[in-house]
Amino acid sequence: MASVHESLYFNPMMTNGVVHANIFGIKDWVTPYKIAVLALLHEMSTTKPMALLDRRRLNKLILPLQQGPDLTLEQFLKIVEECCLRMVNAVKHRLFLMADGELQDMEHFFTILPNAFSDSEAFKTSVVGLFMRQMLLAYNKLSFSQVYKLYKSLQQYCHRVQPELSALPTEDMELTSNEDPSAEHIDKDELDTASLHQSELRSDESQGPLSQKQAEYFLARQAYLLKNDENKAMSPAKLQDELNNILKFNPDFAEAHYLSYLNSIRVQDIYISTHSLLHYFDRLILSGGEGKSNGDEGYGRSLRYAVLNLATLHCRFGHYQQADLALQEAIRIAQEANDHVCLQHCLSWLYTLEQMKGSDSVVLTEDSVKIAAHFCLPYLASLGIQSLVQQGAKQGMPANKLLDALRGTDIMHWKQSLSELIEISLAQTTSIWRMYGKSTMARQQAQLLLNMNSLEPVNFSVQQNNTEAFAVALCHLAELHAEQGLYAVVSDIMKHLKQQFPPHTQHAKLWMLCDLKIQFEKAMNDGKYHLAEPHVTAISALNSTEGLYRKAQLLKALNQTTEASQILQQLQQQCEKSKDIEMTIRVMLASAELHWDSSGFATALPLLLQALALSRQHNLQSLTSETLLHLAFTQLMLGIPEQALVLVQDVLESVLAHGSLIDKGRALLLAARCQMALAGAAAQEHRLTALEQAVHTLDEAAVYFSQLDCKERMRDIHYLQARLHHTLGNISQRNKCSMLFRLLDQELPSSGMTVVSHL
Amino acid sequence: MAATRSSEFGDLVQIKKQLISITAQCKERGLVHSVKWASELAFSLDPLPLNEIPPAPELTEEDARDLDALCLAKSYFDLKEYDRAAYFLRGCRSQKAYFLYMYSRYLSGEKKKDDETVDSLGPLEKGQVRNEALRELRVELSKKHSAGELDGFALYLYGVVLRKLDLLKEAVEIFVAATHALPLHWGSWLELCNLITNIEMLKSLSLPECWVRDFFMAHMFTELQMIKEALQKYQSLMEAGFAKSTYIISQIAVAYHNIRDIDQALYLFNELREQDPFRIENMDTFSNLLYVRSMKPELSYLAHNLVEIDKYRVETCCVIGNYYSLRSQHEKAALYFQRALKLNPRCLGAWTLMGHEYMEMKNTSAAIQAYRHAIEVNKRDYRAWYGLGQTYEILKMPFYSLYYYRKAHQLRPNDSRMLVALGECYEKLSQQVEAKKCYWRAYSVGDVERMALLKLAKLHEQLNEFDDAAQCYIIYIQDIFSCGEQLEHAEVSTALRYLGQYYFKNKLYDEASLCAQRCCDYNDVSSSSAAHSQLRDANLSPFGKMLILSPKQVM
Repeated sequence: MASVHESLYFNPMMTNGVVHANIFGIKDWVTPYKIAVLALLHEMSTTKPMALLDRRRLNKLILPLQQGPDLTLEQFLKIVEECCLRMVNAVKHRLFLMADGELQDMEHFFTILPNAFSDSEAFKTSVVGLFMRQMLLAYNKLSFSQVYKLYKSLQQYCHRVQPELSALPTEDMELTSNEDPSAEHIDKDELDTASLHQSELRSDESQGPLSQKQAEYFLARQAYLLKNDENKAMSPAKLQDELNNILKFNPDFAEAHYLSYLNSIRVQDIYISTHSLLHYFDRLILSGGEGKSNGDEGYGRSLRYAVLNLATLHCRFGHYQQADLALQEAIRIAQEANDHVCLQHCLSWLYTLEQMKGSDSVVLTEDSVKIAAHFCLPYLASLGIQSLVQQGAKQGMPANKLLDALRGTDIMHWKQSLSELIEISLAQTTSIWRMYGKSTMARQQAQLLLNMNSLEPVNFSVQQNNTEAFAVALCHLAELHAEQGLYAVVSDIMKHLKQQFPPHTQHAKLWMLCDLKIQFEKAMNDGKYHLAEPHVTAISALNSTEGLYRKAQLLKALNQTTEASQILQQLQQQCEKSKDIEMTIRVMLASAELHWDSSGFATALPLLLQALALSRQHNLQSLTSETLLHLAFTQLMLGIPEQALVLVQDVLESVLAHGSLIDKGRALLLAARCQMALAGAAAQEHRLTALEQAVHTLDEAAVYFSQLDCKERMRDIHYLQARLHHTLGNISQRNKCSMLFRLLDQELPSSGMTVVSHL
Repeated sequence: MAATRSSEFGDLVQIKKQLISITAQCKERGLVHSVKWASELAFSLDPLPLNEIPPAPELTEEDARDLDALCLAKSYFDLKEYDRAAYFLRGCRSQKAYFLYMYSRYLSGEKKKDDETVDSLGPLEKGQVRNEALRELRVELSKKHSAGELDGFALYLYGVVLRKLDLLKEAVEIFVAATHALPLHWGSWLELCNLITNIEMLKSLSLPECWVRDFFMAHMFTELQMIKEALQKYQSLMEAGFAKSTYIISQIAVAYHNIRDIDQALYLFNELREQDPFRIENMDTFSNLLYVRSMKPELSYLAHNLVEIDKYRVETCCVIGNYYSLRSQHEKAALYFQRALKLNPRCLGAWTLMGHEYMEMKNTSAAIQAYRHAIEVNKRDYRAWYGLGQTYEILKMPFYSLYYYRKAHQLRPNDSRMLVALGECYEKLSQQVEAKKCYWRAYSVGDVERMALLKLAKLHEQLNEFDDAAQCYIIYIQDIFSCGEQLEHAEVSTALRYLGQYYFKNKLYDEASLCAQRCCDYNDVSSSSAAHSQLRDANLSPFGKMLILSPKQVM
């Protein structure tokens, strides 16, 4: 009966009912694998003459061998063999000398071990020296039976490899090699039953326990990879397996719970992540309470940060109410404990939460910045400033102030080497320039970020490039390239984004939305409205406002004006509530276009003027020029081409400098039409030159449209050109243009719109 | 009538004979716990006349050949020299010797495993120590099993080996086979019981038709917290003639403890103590009951008594811990729970109780640790989850404790205490809607502490929902009076006072006066004086106000 023996079980790790993970204070202990490594080190220090290349390769090997998990002898020998063939034989010889000999051979090895190092180049405090001394210490602390056990396991370790060495790959040999030597008497004829269990025996042998050192190294590495380059970390399922394995052997290893929390956040598993987070802090509270030196302070501190972390967890999953409650709790207990640093963290989360909820948090943020500066917390202070800049940009703060603020914080970032914040700052500048419609500046800043060498030390040969800042910059680049019609480049960028930020990760939504927008624009430009439709649904899933806007655009293009105008009105209200200026202006422009469709050119004017005022106020240059083009078109339609042409010419420069291909084409097309209208009214002698000028402008526009492969616009241009050439009397040119027009007209479905009624 | 009685009696005689023979068989094989169970049961039945006592089973040729080796090995086995026993049994052919041979090897492995735990090479290795003999035993036993050479005892051992190797599905099959082969061996049933996790699994098994099966089912129902069914089963077993069995009495007492029927459980435990005064098993449960009822003298007597019997038993330590806890000597209580854990680290109750003690001592970090250990041993221990929640609530982190209370509630959906705790947390977080839901639900599932309605009423009062508050107070008062017993924390006077004011406000003066008068019965000074003044108001109004005003006018 099992219960009989349970009374025999006594746990030595426990004193006063408290289980200590580490009774001896030893983080590492001797295993057969460690002996093999020691043997290698010993051989290395005793064999003096060695080829320089071999030595260098071996030296490079030492650290991974010490820190990595225990390998089997086969694996170990193979790795060493790759570096130095001679060394393998020496190590093998030494190991088998111990394994085939007696216990005293092993004891002898440990006695001669320090001698080899005393006069060699391995210092006592070097990595090798420390390792060696740790091993010796651990070995000397072993009790009689433990030494014997170690020797037995060394024998097993060495002999497991022997069948392969003696080149007998038969199945039964491999099988018995798995069993204890004492199990040899099992008859060979029962292979069928035994082979059933072989796989299972194998599997639990390969999953040996890690020593505390090895486990710590493993956790540190995986956590680093998760933070910096998730693709290089273990897959979530496998990592969880490893963690469970570690926790099985040492349930008190709290850090493993934290990694499990990170890992489950990665796969968006709220259940396990909450569980692991709380478990981690429960354990941490214990270790904090144990150390008498920091006493109650450490304990209370971890409590506060536990709640704060819980709040961030809920934030991450979008449970704003829960996050709010947790945050309030954190603030309360931090206040009670007078912990200003924690309070400051809480405050910065508070304004982030407010922002995520979509409410105004400028005052909170300003307070946060002030207090952070007071308590000398540069990270939080400049994070607050960046957040303020973001809000300011949205609310139309003067550009010089914003950029000044960013530059000011940048200087501090470089001083303090806060590389994360530098990245954010660059990405933010990119976004701001983009918003202002300065595509060249935006492109330059994005490139600067992508080409910057990170200030953080490069560990595990991984450079951090998976932050939100990178995603934002890459998305901007993709959109900028799409505007210039360089779709091959765009797809390359998208491919990189997909690889770097797999769909389940936190920042994947950014590129998804960007990708969809680009595809939508492309489909709209090509006039393939049926292709654009599914994108609208997908965009709405990621961003409802954007989705509505795109839907209105699509409906407008499909001539469903009533529905479109309804949606636009709805959007207008939404935007006014959320103070999204860019969207408001775009909605106004779209509404104005709807008015054109119903020939309400005069009614469109006040809308456009309002949009112009707004965009000027907020320094949104691209939208300003867009609005001006709209105004010019309206004026043209209202019969004042002189005014229209003046407007177009005013704005043409900035459009050509910063605008997208389609904007450039449209501006030139509009200019040409103004010129045509003016030519009609001009005197005879000026008329021909004016018409020629118009033809020239149309040619330029045609270049841009053909780059975009925008057939509808090309058709319009060919039509206009044919008409002009007809007037000018260039018959051959006219015929050519009309032929091109006819070809395109046959290819395209006839749209209800005539040339005149849109920009 | 007579016929049925005689047949029942004959049945019992048959059972008694079976018990006697199985006792002998188990004894020969060193299965001490099964021997204990069977003999306890046999003892509760009437003694047999001499001619009815079953003769010892016939010895076969093989048995005779192995007799000496078996005798020698058994003596070594009893002295816990398992390897030695196995050595002398290695060539034996008889079933009995074979079982003892394998069993000694198994126990030797277990013993070595436990010894090794002490000198494992490092802390992380401690989880890795395992019984090295298990794999060999499994291979040998599975070979014999497929050849059909295993008897009931050997099947039981095979099952145990499989369970230890974590091959649970196979283990269940083997244990079922073992019960078929030898239904009287209680050990197989008990092992099976540990492997069954839910009622569906229980129903899917095909178990042998035998009277032992009823015992098994009753035990299983208790384990699965289906207390009503378990009690029914035990009742029918008692009626069938096992009324004197201490085993059944203890089981019923534990069942009553689980559904918190404290009086019944106490009565049964007292009876048990009378019949079996030196019993230590289950006494920790008994002490829990005494603790809940704060019966200091009885608990003290029990503790001293148990210490005299055997002070190094887990149960004794738990009883002493409870005793000290009741006397508010929490350090000592914690010390004894620690001792219990040293005796058996997998003793779940002690971890939780120790957590409670640390809570009393305001040592929250140690309490958290103790509770976490309890959860590690058994994830389904709702008391530990509840304790964690309480700890964090004491640390003034109600939001944080919500998670733990929710866990506890998940495990005991119909326990009002978790719901009340949840409600309190929500109230602290000013989530009144959720709090109200919790309190109402707590009342609906049968409120143990009768606090939910009071809290609900106060919540309504705060939110100025006067009608709802009054309604709750009315139900609360009815509830308190109908249950009859005196509760210390009962706040009937508060309820009455509120109701009085409520009726007064609604101009129902008769009811108001009634409430106020009833309120005066309670000797709570502040409330009764308030009630008095209010009563005066109620009686005198509408003229009262004039009369109160008059002194001022005089002045």
